[in-house]
Amino acid sequence: MVMSGGRDRPQSKGETGPIDPQGDLGLRSADQAPPLIRHLSSDFGLRHTKGVAITRWLVMSLLVILGSVFCALGYWWGAWLYIGAAANGLLAYLMPHWKTALEAESRQRVHELERSRAHVVDDAAARLRRIEQNLHDGAQAQMVAVVMKLGLAKEHLEGADAMNRNANLIRVAELVDAAHRGAQDAISDLRNLAHGIHPPVLDEGLGAALSALAARCDIPVELMVDLSERPSPAIETIAYFCAAELLTNVVKHSAARRVVVEARCGPSLVRVRICDDGVGGASIGGGGGLAGLAERIATVDGKLEVESPPGGPTEVAFELPLHA
Amino acid sequence: MRIVIAEDSAVIRAGLTEVLVDQGHEVAAAVANGEDLLEAVREHRPDVCVVDVRMPPSYTDEGIRAAIAIRRDFNETGVLVFSQYIETRYAADLLGAASGHGAAGVGYLLKDRVGDVGEFVDALGRVAAGGTALDPEVVTQLLRVSRRTDGLGELTPREREVLSLMAEGRSNGAIADSLFISERAVEKYVANIFSKLGLAPSDADHRRVLAVLRYLDS
Repeated sequence: MVMSGGRDRPQSKGETGPIDPQGDLGLRSADQAPPLIRHLSSDFGLRHTKGVAITRWLVMSLLVILGSVFCALGYWWGAWLYIGAAANGLLAYLMPHWKTALEAESRQRVHELERSRAHVVDDAAARLRRIEQNLHDGAQAQMVAVVMKLGLAKEHLEGADAMNRNANLIRVAELVDAAHRGAQDAISDLRNLAHGIHPPVLDEGLGAALSALAARCDIPVELMVDLSERPSPAIETIAYFCAAELLTNVVKHSAARRVVVEARCGPSLVRVRICDDGVGGASIGGGGGLAGLAERIATVDGKLEVESPPGGPTEVAFELPLHA
Repeated sequence: MRIVIAEDSAVIRAGLTEVLVDQGHEVAAAVANGEDLLEAVREHRPDVCVVDVRMPPSYTDEGIRAAIAIRRDFNETGVLVFSQYIETRYAADLLGAASGHGAAGVGYLLKDRVGDVGEFVDALGRVAAGGTALDPEVVTQLLRVSRRTDGLGELTPREREVLSLMAEGRSNGAIADSLFISERAVEKYVANIFSKLGLAPSDADHRRVLAVLRYLDS
């Protein structure tokens, strides 16, 4: 038996024949292994030379697998880091563009709202001024005249004496008659004014109001109403006054012989269409009342369309949301 | 009286003409805007004009501007401004302008006052004669404004009442009647008002106007 050089470790009993070449060439025993392996080996209780080779392979494989797993994880995380960084970069690049686009959009919306609000305010102020003017020039003036006539009548009654009683009474009767007529005119003025502010029939719905409008129109109106859902009162009022103004335009400017008025409900909007067989040539930019109408409609995000070639026919349609 | 009317409402113009003619006055012209008014005054030299405030073309204060021009250029013509509303600023403009040119011959009445024909014609007569005629409503509003200033603070409520009736253009007798006091008592109040407002006893009528103007200016 030859002892392997430099090895003072006792051979195990019964171990004969050629020395295990592994002892020289290959793997060292657990005692000679690096500390980590030694540690691992001792943990597994594999100190015996016979199990050492297998154990070493197992440990090395485990290390390789673990290393690979760690590497893979590292790559994975690294990949995510790269993806994250790239996404960040992309976002950093795109954000200002999106922000600018969003800002531009919201600025435009704000601008639109400011414009339509200014129009609403102007419109309301103009309406009030018109009402005040109508009152001042109409009923109020009528009533002043009535008071003048009654004042004169009173004066004549007070100044009447036996001599000219009859003559005075005739004059008083004339004055009272004139005052009576003036008061009636004033009442009619007030009625028209009140009606112009809010037609009572509008309380019964847009359909009823349009039918009252059609009945009053000087040109025969064919009315088609299909309103399954009732718009909110503000929308009904706008729709009514727009339709009224459009019908007035037809009577004044179109020389039409008949008009069709159609009011229908869409999923979330009400559409009113007014068509006439008149001379045409109407346009929103034509300086007439259509531009004002379009503005009023735009205040509730509605829209007005006009199709009116020279020679006619004219079709004006507007859409309003069902609820303002 | 020879009268020129400027009023853009045809129905009121006709009514006013009817009232004045009925009461034995001469309506020399009845026009509908400020420019025609100045022309009519130049042509007819009336004793007094009745002028609406709101007239064409701008429907704002044409009447007031025409009235001020008349008081400046035609000393002998009184101006009664006749309006459906009382605007304190217009009253102040009118009286301020009047004070520089004879300090009298102006009035400012609500149109409703024509309902009392006698009183309206009296007021018009006062203005024609160089006096003042202010609507009680004008006086009330001006009084409300003047409470904030100190010039009239020393006046007793009764003196204030007398002064506001003076502003309406009433005589001592008329003031006495309306307050149910004697004319002598009114004279005493008036003297107190003059002395509190620091108006020297010179021309009594003129002092009345000055007191009223002091009162209105405050």
